[in-house]
Amino acid sequence: MIAFMRLLAPWLALAVLFAVAPHVFASGSAMTMMSVMGTMIIYALSYNMLLGQTGLLSFGHAVYFGLGGFVAIHAMNAVIHAKLGVPVPMIPLIGGLAGLGFGFLFGLVSTKRAGIVFSMITLGVGELVSSSSFILRTFFGGEEGITTNRSALAPFFGHRFGPQIEVYYLIAAWCLLSVVAMYALTRTPFGRMCNAVRDNPERVEFVGYSPRMLRMIAFCFAGFFAGIAGGLAAINFEIMNSEQLAAQQSSLALFMAYIGGVSSFTGPIVGAVIVTYLQITLSDVSSVWLLYFGLMFIGVVLYAPDGVVGWVKLHRQAALRGQLWRLAPSYALVTPGFVAAGLGAIMLIELANRQFELVQSEGSVVRLFGIGLDAATAPPWIVAFLLFGVGAAAVRLLWPRVGDAWGAVNERLHSREPA
Amino acid sequence: MTAALSLHDLRKSFGAMSIIRGVSLDIENGERHAIIGPNGAGKSTLFHLTSGRIRPTSGEVSLHGERITGLPPFEINRRGLSRSFQITNIFPKLSVYENLRCATLWSLGHKYAFWRSINGLRDVRERSQWLMEQIGLTGRRDVPAGVLTYAEQRALEIGVTIGGGADVIMLDEPTAGMNNSETEQAVALIRKVTEGKTLVMVEHDMSVVFNLADRISVLVYGKIIATDTPDRIRENAEVREAYLGQASHQ
Repeated sequence: MIAFMRLLAPWLALAVLFAVAPHVFASGSAMTMMSVMGTMIIYALSYNMLLGQTGLLSFGHAVYFGLGGFVAIHAMNAVIHAKLGVPVPMIPLIGGLAGLGFGFLFGLVSTKRAGIVFSMITLGVGELVSSSSFILRTFFGGEEGITTNRSALAPFFGHRFGPQIEVYYLIAAWCLLSVVAMYALTRTPFGRMCNAVRDNPERVEFVGYSPRMLRMIAFCFAGFFAGIAGGLAAINFEIMNSEQLAAQQSSLALFMAYIGGVSSFTGPIVGAVIVTYLQITLSDVSSVWLLYFGLMFIGVVLYAPDGVVGWVKLHRQAALRGQLWRLAPSYALVTPGFVAAGLGAIMLIELANRQFELVQSEGSVVRLFGIGLDAATAPPWIVAFLLFGVGAAAVRLLWPRVGDAWGAVNERLHSREPA
Repeated sequence: MTAALSLHDLRKSFGAMSIIRGVSLDIENGERHAIIGPNGAGKSTLFHLTSGRIRPTSGEVSLHGERITGLPPFEINRRGLSRSFQITNIFPKLSVYENLRCATLWSLGHKYAFWRSINGLRDVRERSQWLMEQIGLTGRRDVPAGVLTYAEQRALEIGVTIGGGADVIMLDEPTAGMNNSETEQAVALIRKVTEGKTLVMVEHDMSVVFNLADRISVLVYGKIIATDTPDRIRENAEVREAYLGQASHQ
């Protein structure tokens, strides 16, 4: 019973979090953002079933998200047209089944091999589907995409999902359900063999399993959950267009999973929340927000390969053993350099953006952190270069201290482990 | 009576190079059979051909009378032949316990089950626990396999190999790179876990071979030049010249 409660506790906590979130962040924009987050959590987790769990690097995951969404939106329009009694909450399931179907179809080709071959095939399938979206205009709707009206569907216990809050709760419910299901999958014989195939596909064959079959099943599940996410996106935006299944949407899944951390189950959840938040807020602030994204991704890949969650776990481990204080001085030492270099980089990017880009028509003055900087004059550039140069040099110079501190911490962490 | 494992005129060439040049061998049920031979004789290749890792150019492999030539490794494994590797081949990021669990799942009939919790499978739990005790790694249950000591990894390699309960076990140099006491322990372990099973092993350590094997085959340049009891192999002039004698000169 206690074990059961302990098993249930994190999910209950998540459910409560989902339930109270709109009361804490009640504004319309917050509601929209949280709806997108819920969708992206499912999408990122479905992607990590391939990358983190099974060791398959896909470059075309948006195919299943997008096709799930398109099928869902056509299903909604068909339901409206034929006046069927299918309510909105059923629609994501249709998206999921579409994702599953296409996952099976393309999986037959993609999962034949692992590694680079797999990645190349998913890239090819991704390009194939996204380019066909401009040819098959009746299905994909060309440039404008396909629209729908979710409140025209049959009411669900009196709810027509007109207001955003109702859509939010619908997404939250599907998100919770999907997260629990995907977590449960990792704890089954199939899920564990996926980990084995990620670690060593050759040996898997010698304990009686077909690596290809394991990859295939994982691919179908990933397609299914991506399709659910696509269906939710279709309900949320009431529009699907070809961007939703293009390469940029595919790399978004990789970004979210990687930034959050692919080696833990919770990583992609955290990644989806962070990336969605930045995507929406940064795109308001800067026209080159994708550039910051790319830089952040490179930073994580180079310096925190286990993502944000991995980084936090590492520090929690140190904190639990009472070793965090050893790290503090070295962190304090490198922080000013980091901040200076970061500020310098942001200034350089924004100044360059203003000076060389089309937005120059808005004048040469950039407002950064409330300060107006004229990109046509030298002083802001000099300050930016100095900040970046000195900051980066300071970090580079002082970084070995961080390494030494971690060395000391690790020594103590491991010496207490049983031999 | 059909042999547990039977090779008939097995051949393998890579391009113009013949590695295995017509090997025929019958290994009886319950026999402990060692394959010895100089480096490059094709011992590991013979293992790969038998276990399905590579396909033979011609010839036949039968397991309990059933033809298994050209089947993929997992099909051969499901029919009751399991092998280990010369270079440790386990799941480095998974714990000792999880490594062993992976090895038991198929044979206990759980296949690709995605509808039931793995922790709830009592047969898997008990068998993995039993395996862990057999190979003496109970104290290392949750340690990732990648950070085990070399001897521990070799023990785990054997554990993963016998995990599925196969009745034909093939071990490729199980004591390679071990010191004397580690080798002694490994031999005791092999003896214990292959009790009542058919064992085929490649081994370089002659004391291990003569200690464990019921019969020995000597493989030289892709051909078996003699198959006999350890005593007679020791006295065989051709073997002495081709292999044992040569070894003593080194």
